[in-house]
Amino acid sequence: MSNTENRPVLSPVLAIENYSLDYETANGPFHALKNIDLAINRGEILGLVGESGSGKTSLAWSIMRYLPKNAREPGGKILLGGDNLLEKSEREMQTFRGRRISMVFQDPSTSLNPTLSLGTQLAEVLVRHRGLTRQQAWKEGEERLAHVGLRTPAQMMHRMPHEASGGEKQRVVIASAFACNPECIIFDEPTTALDVITSRQILDLFVELQAETGVASLYISHDLALVARTAGRVAVIKRGDIVEQGTVREIFTNPQQEYTRELIAAVPDPAHRLVKDDVVDTDKPLVKVENVSVHFGRKSFLAALTGRKTDRVTGNNAISLSVNPGEILGIVGESGSGKSTLAKAMTGLNRFEGKIWFDGREIRNLGDMDNAYRKDVQIIFQHPDASLNPRQKIFEILSRPLKLFGDGSDLEKQVGDMLEQVRLPRTHASRYPHQLSGGEKQRVAIARAFASKPKLVICDEITSALDVSVQASVVQLLLELQKASGTAYLFITHDLNLIRQIAHRIAVMYRGDLIEVVKADEIDSPDRADYTRRLIEAVPRAAAQYQ
Amino acid sequence: MIVYTLFVVSLIVFAITQILPADAAVMMLGENATPEALDALRQTMGLDAPIWQQYATWLWHVVQGDLGTSLRTGQPVGPAMFEALGRSLLLALLSIGLMLVLAIPLGIIAAIRRGKIADMVVSLISYAGVALPEFVTATIAVLVFADWMKWLPPTGYVPLTEDFFGGIAHLVLPVCVISIILIAHVSRMVRSELVDVLHTDYIRAARLKGLSRGHVLRRHALRNALLPTITIVALDVGYLLGGVIVVEEIFAIPGIGRQLIVAIQARDLPAIQAGVLIMAATYSIVNFIADILYAWLDKRIQYD
Repeated sequence: MSNTENRPVLSPVLAIENYSLDYETANGPFHALKNIDLAINRGEILGLVGESGSGKTSLAWSIMRYLPKNAREPGGKILLGGDNLLEKSEREMQTFRGRRISMVFQDPSTSLNPTLSLGTQLAEVLVRHRGLTRQQAWKEGEERLAHVGLRTPAQMMHRMPHEASGGEKQRVVIASAFACNPECIIFDEPTTALDVITSRQILDLFVELQAETGVASLYISHDLALVARTAGRVAVIKRGDIVEQGTVREIFTNPQQEYTRELIAAVPDPAHRLVKDDVVDTDKPLVKVENVSVHFGRKSFLAALTGRKTDRVTGNNAISLSVNPGEILGIVGESGSGKSTLAKAMTGLNRFEGKIWFDGREIRNLGDMDNAYRKDVQIIFQHPDASLNPRQKIFEILSRPLKLFGDGSDLEKQVGDMLEQVRLPRTHASRYPHQLSGGEKQRVAIARAFASKPKLVICDEITSALDVSVQASVVQLLLELQKASGTAYLFITHDLNLIRQIAHRIAVMYRGDLIEVVKADEIDSPDRADYTRRLIEAVPRAAAQYQ
Repeated sequence: MIVYTLFVVSLIVFAITQILPADAAVMMLGENATPEALDALRQTMGLDAPIWQQYATWLWHVVQGDLGTSLRTGQPVGPAMFEALGRSLLLALLSIGLMLVLAIPLGIIAAIRRGKIADMVVSLISYAGVALPEFVTATIAVLVFADWMKWLPPTGYVPLTEDFFGGIAHLVLPVCVISIILIAHVSRMVRSELVDVLHTDYIRAARLKGLSRGHVLRRHALRNALLPTITIVALDVGYLLGGVIVVEEIFAIPGIGRQLIVAIQARDLPAIQAGVLIMAATYSIVNFIADILYAWLDKRIQYD
């Protein structure tokens, strides 16, 4: 009876004690995790919330003992059912991974091998850890797939990853994580890569399986609202430090740390509207989109020769909507619903059929989009990394539109003013994009869009690559700019809570069709279209339920 | 698609031979023939007909399997060319075989021992292989193994059916010389593909399922890493056809490359046409097979 004496029944399944992790870099050690203390009991879900770079994924790799070569561990313990994983050899860990502790990853389309069937990838876990033969494993795999709610498990086993949808693939990944009834499962943002309704279904499945098996779960996410819906306790991590831990209710109702308060405040809450509903429906809208359709698909040379018909994919199907001057029109929908396709058509990046009326002018095709149109209609893209030229300084990036659309005089002063307008120091003009943070880069992209004093700015998922707190400040900036300039926004997003805060009207899209356009404060009324109701129901609104 | 490609090739080949400064009638009768005799011969050979008509006649014969008669020997071109093609294919197949046996393991070793000594040695060898043209490696090989060591015959060809071991001995040097560049090329390709694949999420996911390194390498990584290699190998067949010409010339092997050089030197138009057409056909068939193989291994690709 030494150190295992009288172990209480509720000894944690996973206990991390005073654990630290450094990465050796050219500039000396980088402290990724500092004196982490966490414990997860059987049947418990612990949410781990933090911004990107806070060390939450590093912690997952530490637990799985899958660290890069430059990782150093100055001290601490990671105990799985009493076994200190830091003392285990790679060979021992191989018998633990997948059997005693497993993991569900962010993106099912990259975490499954594209050249092996889903069944093979599920069955190999069973063969490896449960000693089944291939036939037994295959049969058991079918049962497992049925258990995670796949309707045709036998067929699904034979499918290749590209033949299954994102939700189906994530179900297979979850099935393999649960396959050997592990003691602990790490979920690393398992729904971020999925669209709203699918992620809701996956979340429901997770909660159900978790309750059924009682597996201790570590749920990693940057989305506080999401974690609040699933987890019992939450740990908030900031730059490698656990700054606060407690039950969900404690964290939301009585946060101890300033950082936690900021995180909670940054979660969009649809009940808290950020714009006034002062835009009147005029009969002279700024933009009127009339029956705009976009088709993709190119005739192959051979098909053109033989006159064979090629299948065209419809990106937008006869969309009609309008934006009033100074209005924020939100467009929401799942991935693939045609939101961005419409934005691209309106900015001349896609061919389209139909008509666009802009400020009384008729635009029938790309040829009609002259400099005057482009000056008035600007677009901001999702990833500032991809939309800012990495080889140009901010000054060059911002002076381009000034030269093209403005008078081009005294560029130094104008660029400086633009930077101040988006709350960046004037000195940033001499920097390169990679020297700025993600939020700062997106501010530069916003400044560039506003350089030509446009009448309409199309924001294509501009906050989805940003952390919640950064998103809040970027949105704040956009609203201030809008108030000052009276610019209309077409705000494309999949974040329903955010758009309900800032839009005047919301357009709902589904598979290329426009379902309906409704006033933002009326989107949750019961007489909305079926699809809109499903969307609203799928979105977690945890922040509100505690406030 | 193959038929279409070959049709275009036949057009180009025929066009090029038309541009060549060679008159078949002059070639046959010699420089001193009388204009009347030349005209008469042109008429019997159909050379006075419009070009498209000549092409149509030629194509019609080719489709029926008649590649024409050599101006040099007066024998049908087809059988001679196909016999030569057989010898070249033997050379090419042995080279590809040697390449596959060596290049893929070398690439795998370099990838999994990335940054270690083994990786650097493989890299060095492949740089040297890519940098040296085959006539240099061939010369060095002959000098060392045939001239100094006297282990192997320097040149010549002995059919395997006549003297198996003698034939093999004659083939060793040419096969090695051809495969050096292929090995260099393919091993680098395998290495970089495998390094990429080993960094993907699904490899990490497979490791985190508790599968061992070796199992993940065999079951998950290699298939994905070797897929693009198939395309490279198929494209290398193009190089191989060119390399075979040089190597056959150096080692005096009567393959299709050598036949083609002789035909060009003698301005033997039917032989040139037949030789180029056969080479183009070989190349497109190999690439077609590679595409099918690729689609069969990678189920995401579908050909209609």
